[in-house]
Amino acid sequence: MDRFSGNFDRFSDLFNPYDSNPTNANHAIGDFTKCTRKPLVMGSTVLGLEYQDGVMIAADTLGSWGQLARYRNESRIYPVGNFTVLGAAGDMSDFQHTKHMLDSLMIKEYYTNDDHVLSTPHIYEYLSRVLYHRRSKLDPLWNTYVVGGYNNGERFLGYVDLLGTTYQSSIVATGLGAYFAQPILRNAVEGREGILTEAEAIEILNTCMKILFYRECKTLNRIQRAKVTADGVEISEPYALPTEWSFGEGIRGFGTQTQ
Amino acid sequence: MDSFLPVQVSWTPQTAASGSDFYPYTNNAGTVAGISGGDFCVMAADTRQSFGVGYLINTRYQPKMFKLSNGSVLGTSGFYADGLTLIKRINQRLEWYKHAHDKEMSTPALAQLLSITLYSKRFFPYYARVLLGGLDLEGHGVVYGYDSIGSYEPCLARATGSGGSLIQPFLDNQIYRKTPLGILQAPHTLDQVKAVMRDSFTSATERDIQTGDYLELFIITAQGVDVEKYDLRKD
Amino acid sequence: MVSRVDVPKGGFNFDNYQRNLILQEKGFSLPKPTKTGTTIVGTKFKNGVVLGADTRATGDTTVMDKNCFKIHYLAPNIYGCGAGTAADTDKITKMVASQLELHRLATGRESRVATALTALTQFLFRYQGHLGAALVLGGVDVDGPHLFSVSPHGSTDKLPYLCQGSGSLAAISIFESQWRENMERDEAIELVKEAIKAGIFNDMGSGSSVDVAVIEKGRAEVCRGMEVPYPTIQKVDSYKFKPGTTAILSESFRNFVTITEGDAMDIS
Repeated sequence: MDRFSGNFDRFSDLFNPYDSNPTNANHAIGDFTKCTRKPLVMGSTVLGLEYQDGVMIAADTLGSWGQLARYRNESRIYPVGNFTVLGAAGDMSDFQHTKHMLDSLMIKEYYTNDDHVLSTPHIYEYLSRVLYHRRSKLDPLWNTYVVGGYNNGERFLGYVDLLGTTYQSSIVATGLGAYFAQPILRNAVEGREGILTEAEAIEILNTCMKILFYRECKTLNRIQRAKVTADGVEISEPYALPTEWSFGEGIRGFGTQTQ
Repeated sequence: MDSFLPVQVSWTPQTAASGSDFYPYTNNAGTVAGISGGDFCVMAADTRQSFGVGYLINTRYQPKMFKLSNGSVLGTSGFYADGLTLIKRINQRLEWYKHAHDKEMSTPALAQLLSITLYSKRFFPYYARVLLGGLDLEGHGVVYGYDSIGSYEPCLARATGSGGSLIQPFLDNQIYRKTPLGILQAPHTLDQVKAVMRDSFTSATERDIQTGDYLELFIITAQGVDVEKYDLRKD
Repeated sequence: MVSRVDVPKGGFNFDNYQRNLILQEKGFSLPKPTKTGTTIVGTKFKNGVVLGADTRATGDTTVMDKNCFKIHYLAPNIYGCGAGTAADTDKITKMVASQLELHRLATGRESRVATALTALTQFLFRYQGHLGAALVLGGVDVDGPHLFSVSPHGSTDKLPYLCQGSGSLAAISIFESQWRENMERDEAIELVKEAIKAGIFNDMGSGSSVDVAVIEKGRAEVCRGMEVPYPTIQKVDSYKFKPGTTAILSESFRNFVTITEGDAMDIS
């Protein structure tokens, strides 16, 4: 099984154990229990880092349908309560289900009216148990989540995937972002969480997202950022990253060609 | 990927009721080891968590060894989510036991509890290589080694996980003092045992790519549990 | 009409490949080769090429060689870094190096990078990807500095900076964020070192130290172990066995030479 979220939607005609190509005419239609094993609209990388004011995460806005760049304005960052933000990679319908589930949870907590609100670690724990439970039923939520938050002066950044695997770290990246962006994030952030300014954090995330756009087929240069600080969650409007291609002007061919 | 399955199980992707070919395990790897002494026990684990597929490091510091409420120490490697779930279940049972009996569970009793908890998932096992360390009823150090479905035995020194096969022969030599003539057991001081443990992990890190970053030593004595942290190679 | 039954076939015969597949199905699997889970990179700079490699060779999750050399000699002015199956990269570069040497002796001219590239790609293409060799090829010839990458199937790539191996994703992220055109020699070396270090620390298949080769017009310099980014952690204890550790069960002495007393040997 290829459970690497960067390959969730990489269809191979030769070997595709999940039959996950939505354009395959042989798809069993009407078997609803199989939905999550055939992820359709997919999101790619989510990045997260801790900085001096709190936590910042970034994701592009592409919802891929197979090899097709189907939805170019798919928001993959969602606030949960006032001090938690959720970034999602993987199947977008499972993400919508999760958003609904977490909203219900927050409302239920609010109804009790006991002045207790779920903080980020609570939400993270809940989400990771749900994902682990679903994997144990062999009916996974086909997502990788990044949970960021800021509670009582404490930064929180956690990762949980469709198997229920969890880790907390000052930098987090899903999918191919784990290969491309993690090295840069580790160099730039690890050990400097307390002194990294907001401007620097934005710059780091922009650089990483740009590299992903250059190198990963399912990333767009249109991204969204979210920060969680003592003031709460703030999610940016989508914006485009400038790109640079001029280095290719002098190149002729791919081998011994000279003109 | 099927080689990740620790034991022969009747569950396979094909036989799953839902007909899914989703594979519910991964190997987050890492190494766990334990050595018991006369009145102490030293448990150790590295802190690297790897993705399980490919050569990716998830994080350099995600502890996989935990002090339990009764003073024993439980270390897991393998599928991290299963290991964590196992620890949550065990801690819950310790809590119930405490309220039911008004005392902490002893380490030998906990060892049995851990065994039946693992066996309760015989046909959909926790893919965790578990090691339990603590003090027995007489106050002697004890380490229990397990397989993923609950077979267990107390031992003097045990290593398991991705670097386990590198460390175990070294412990056999240094702790068991196994020779062709039989076991020549030498007394070991806490300092000697700590040194053996640290050197085991620095050596395992040299040759096992999934072991590394930091080493956490849990030293269990009648006074309680001390935790020490050391550097390991990060490449 | 002439029978065509016995017409000899040209080119390669892949019958053994089919046979091996059948054998594998029946449970006779082939021995596993050592794969160099690797980070190798190359970049052009103002007047030359810098190549870099890590030095770890892995077999599954075990480190097989902590200090293996992945920058292969092809010609005095051409070097190639190899990733993939260690045996394939070693042998292919050796064979091409030999071809180039003979070609130089025949023509009396310096080898061109394009010649090495063509030799490698044609060789690899003949084997249809069954040789697991991925290379980053760099050199300086009469046409100036050149940098290519070659994949196991024989396709090539020409870019100002290139990476191969399991750590190539980590290394390329360093290039994508820091590479500039017309770098100085020292800048280029630093960048290559950074890229290899990204592979060493973030890719478990890569590790140990950084090897670098710098090729300029009329000068090639290979620096083995240019940087060792993480020191070897010293052991706390010594595990030398004390004399007498091995038990002596019985002793027996036997003389192989019988010395008989007699006249002293005549040595005059």
